[in-house]
Amino acid sequence: MNNFIRLIKLCRPHYKAMLLGTLLATITVLANVGLLAISGWFLASMAAAGIAGVQMNYFTPAGTIRFLAIVRTASRYAERLVTHNATFLLLSEIRVNMFATLSKLNNVDLAMSRSADLVNRLQNDVDVLDKFYLNILLPMLVALLSVPIIMVFMAAYNANVALICFTGILLIGVVLPALLSIKLNKNSHKETQLSAQLRAELSDTLTGLRELSIYQAGDDQISKCNKLNQQYNQQLYNRHKALANSDGLSLLVVQLAMLGAIVTIVPLVYTGAMVNVELAMLSLFVLASFESVLLLPNAFIELPNVLKAAERLFTLQDKVSTQSNNQVALIDTQYDKNNTSLTLNNISYKYDEHTALTNVSFILKAQQKVAIVGRSGSGKTTLVNLLTGLWPLQQGSITLGDQNTPQELHSLSNDTRASVINILAQQHHIFDGTLSENLRYAAPNATKDEMLEAIKLAELKPWFDGLKAGLKTRLGTGGRNVSQGQSRRIAIAQALLQNPAILVLDEPTEGLDNHSKQTVMNAIMQVMSNVSVLTITHDPALLSQMNNVIWLEDGKVIAQGSHKELSSAYPDYVALTTRF
Amino acid sequence: MTTKPRPNRAQQQTLRAFLKTQSKPASLWLKLSIALGTFNAILMITGAYLLAQTIHNVMFEGESLAQVAHLLWPLAGIILLRAIFLALSERLSALAALKIKSVMRQTLLTKLSLLGPSYIEQHGQGATLNTLHNGVEELHDYYAKYLPGVAYSALIPLAILVVIFPTDYKAGLIFLLTAPLIPFFMILVGSKAEALNQKRWQQLAVLGNYFFDRVQGLTQLKLFNATQTELKQIAKISDDFRHTTLGVLKIAFLSSFALEFLATISVALVAVIIGFRLFFGTLDFSTGFVVLLLAPEFYLPLRQLGSHYHARLQGISAAADMVTILNAPLPNNEADSVVNTITGSRLDKLNSIDIKKLSYTYPNSNEGIHDITLTLPKKGLVAVVGNSGSGKSTLFDCLLGFHAQVMPCIYINGLPLTANNITQLQSQVAWIPQNPTLFYDSISANILLAKPDATQPELEQAAHQAGALEFINSLPRGFDTLIGEQGEGLSGGQKQRIALARAFLKNAPILMLDEPTAHLDSQTEQHIQHAINMYAKNNLVLVIAHRLNTVKHADNIIVMDQGKITEQGSFEKLRTQHGVFYNLLNATKQGVAHE
Repeated sequence: MNNFIRLIKLCRPHYKAMLLGTLLATITVLANVGLLAISGWFLASMAAAGIAGVQMNYFTPAGTIRFLAIVRTASRYAERLVTHNATFLLLSEIRVNMFATLSKLNNVDLAMSRSADLVNRLQNDVDVLDKFYLNILLPMLVALLSVPIIMVFMAAYNANVALICFTGILLIGVVLPALLSIKLNKNSHKETQLSAQLRAELSDTLTGLRELSIYQAGDDQISKCNKLNQQYNQQLYNRHKALANSDGLSLLVVQLAMLGAIVTIVPLVYTGAMVNVELAMLSLFVLASFESVLLLPNAFIELPNVLKAAERLFTLQDKVSTQSNNQVALIDTQYDKNNTSLTLNNISYKYDEHTALTNVSFILKAQQKVAIVGRSGSGKTTLVNLLTGLWPLQQGSITLGDQNTPQELHSLSNDTRASVINILAQQHHIFDGTLSENLRYAAPNATKDEMLEAIKLAELKPWFDGLKAGLKTRLGTGGRNVSQGQSRRIAIAQALLQNPAILVLDEPTEGLDNHSKQTVMNAIMQVMSNVSVLTITHDPALLSQMNNVIWLEDGKVIAQGSHKELSSAYPDYVALTTRF
Repeated sequence: MTTKPRPNRAQQQTLRAFLKTQSKPASLWLKLSIALGTFNAILMITGAYLLAQTIHNVMFEGESLAQVAHLLWPLAGIILLRAIFLALSERLSALAALKIKSVMRQTLLTKLSLLGPSYIEQHGQGATLNTLHNGVEELHDYYAKYLPGVAYSALIPLAILVVIFPTDYKAGLIFLLTAPLIPFFMILVGSKAEALNQKRWQQLAVLGNYFFDRVQGLTQLKLFNATQTELKQIAKISDDFRHTTLGVLKIAFLSSFALEFLATISVALVAVIIGFRLFFGTLDFSTGFVVLLLAPEFYLPLRQLGSHYHARLQGISAAADMVTILNAPLPNNEADSVVNTITGSRLDKLNSIDIKKLSYTYPNSNEGIHDITLTLPKKGLVAVVGNSGSGKSTLFDCLLGFHAQVMPCIYINGLPLTANNITQLQSQVAWIPQNPTLFYDSISANILLAKPDATQPELEQAAHQAGALEFINSLPRGFDTLIGEQGEGLSGGQKQRIALARAFLKNAPILMLDEPTAHLDSQTEQHIQHAINMYAKNNLVLVIAHRLNTVKHADNIIVMDQGKITEQGSFEKLRTQHGVFYNLLNATKQGVAHE
């Protein structure tokens, strides 16, 4: 309930569009109900007048019928436009909200949502929330507005009929959907589970096709998939059965309500307590009145999903507000590139039980080039994460600046930090957008010439010359595919534009073929010429260019020295840095 | 949401024909469902007559409740039957869709396993998986809703016309004349609206992509300190989207506007005309009332068909991917037609493996391996080295029998490999790829894949050999521990060791292995190293080597460059020879920053 109210609060900025949509939708419903009821009355009256041979004013009702038909169609059209407009307004609101929340979260919390699974869930959540107004709020509001109006009119003719009809509406609009929703929810957990299991099994089969044929287990695996497939379908059938039952029951309720109304009215007409034409009118009125709750069942079925999605969004938001409570004033300052050193002092870091770093200390002097070498799990990635300043320090300090005025990295403003340190991650993200948009993320004010210069220095020139649209070439998911080597060189071009004092590289040549490795190396050499560099690498080509190599094992520094020194002193070091 | 273009009209035609043939396994259910639905419509018409008669009798004949009871009881019965039949009909169509999907998934999976790994790699593993999983699910509404909907849109109006015409042909004429207008308008406005609608979906997909793309790159935006600017950008793009989409919707909604307008106006028209006929006494009330009751029902199936539009497009789009897979030609097994010389002589004992003049290039590229001639020993450690792209994995794939074309170039015990004896060769091989596949199952089931009838001591022995026993036993559920998707919950080293245990359990005369390039923890690396060296004493171990220590221990090193074998020999021999291996070794040893 709490989440429902928070969701409605989210809608508040657009309440005008939403209310207008509700109003139009209500008019559509009422016009349709009126159309059928008046048609019934008109037919009955005309027949009665015809039989009795009396004159009647048929222009007004005939005109009304035509008028209502037009009103219904026109308001339906307007309603769809207005409600869709409101939906898009809300969609924008939700996205902006979600993004603001995510961008304020610190990276420890974010790291958990990094996995593809959680990003997917986020996507589903947003998709579900997008339709909150159209699928849930609107049907509820329309029912709340139109049902009382319909009931008042109906009760004016006969209170008992109104009562029967209201009971039917309640059954169809609220009770049945609520029951169905509970039933579907019970199922949905099992369904998602089986669906995920089936997907995993199918995925395994596709990736493991070679192994399956080597181990002659292909047939077994396929029959396992088929069995799971059957099981999943059986589970789905439960859902469809429930939906079919609910449809049957709905039909039963609507028709029985009408039958009930007739049974109530017939004696009244017989005794003359009610005008005979009202029987025809009311029976159609009752039938049509159910249109007011036509969309309500779906709203109830969707509601739990929406609330769950909202809960996840709000949990994230709450995390942000607790985080921002203990924030201190951040320092804005400028650094002299040639005089900025980076000092790590006694850094230790733990993930729950597991210790990632123990008392790591070293200094990166201005313009120095230092490499970090270590096996997987030695703590390198944690070290880079801490250097981003987006992860909280647990123990020790990271300071920037000359000896006289060192500043804590974590107390710098985002602006300052971004201008001093550039981190080139291994999985560099190329945004869906043009090349120049991508470059401008690093340096918003970069001119065209500066960008071209950076492209040249980053060894992107041959690639760039082949682009017909030049800087306007669209990259990323919706655009041109960029190879891993190109993406790293684009990152280097970004670093060149940003012109930081310190550049941190995370395995810049890992996973590249020889040719790309060479071009990336050349680009790195360009950028290295006037910046301090800290790089994680196992690449001897890069290691040999470093002033100092720090060898990390199990979160501790076990040796330091130049690549040459370490190579001749430790055979294990040679084995670690040699890969074919 | 996809930005994939939707099939054009001609393609849609063939795809619909395809979907129709695929409905065979459940066509009986589907027909039964449609029959029930149609029968329901007939019940509905009967109910309308009963209702109209009741109202007529009460209104104009002055009958009491007891007098119309003989009409109301059957009406109640019809209502009950309609509810039951509706539920049954919907169940049946859902059941039919489930059956069809089930068979479709099985067919696709079987076909994919025949097409083999290279087909899947060519077409993208993710895309293929999506077709197999979500794609098949997307057929549901096509079969459960759209197909019955098409039948109803013809059958129900027809049933109503058949009943209305004899009672009142003039009302029948109004229906008959307005009915074709609906599909006519649907087609007229629909073709334009369809194009617009497509555009709208694509725009929505673009917007969705934009947002999630920025979420995925969020850390980077933070590092660039660009989150605030991006926030404004997202708001702006959403707003732009809203404006353009609303412009599109204004026209797209016209199609449903036209539909609704026609249906509503027709009903209103029928009501007014009948009203006048009643007034002038040319029609009795009960007939007039029946027509009024049936008028909305007459247009309903046609209108509903419009609402299944999305189900139709979704089904057809999904079908396109399935047709591609099902129509893909199987790798030609010409070898099958050749008289099989090996039939009878089983490859139980492997004496020799020779490769003679083997060349393989990938379709649509000139990458591959050329003119490989190689004799493999019966035991020992053979390392294959070379740059990425030099053809090592391709050579392995050929040897494992995954490229049917090159089988005749591989001789086992002096006889060429054929499609018939390939499984016999495969039964003599254990294989560990770079990233071994662990199946969504228990650890023991994953290891037992290699030898399902292995005993527990055998299983433990294999795990011990692979250095996996200790960590498996330390897990709360031991060998019964379930492994998640893609080996989730296990470290890279642990996965490698389970794959190694699997290979050891098979105890095959040949072990082929692609060494992991990632830096495993030192314990795992040493374990694998040691275990492999031991295994190589009695068996042939072929390894794509990435580590210096592996190469040093190899009995023979095969050096590949640009799809050819350039050198082979011992480590000592190749190290001194100034060839490709020498360059490789020195490149990694000293580093070549300067060209």
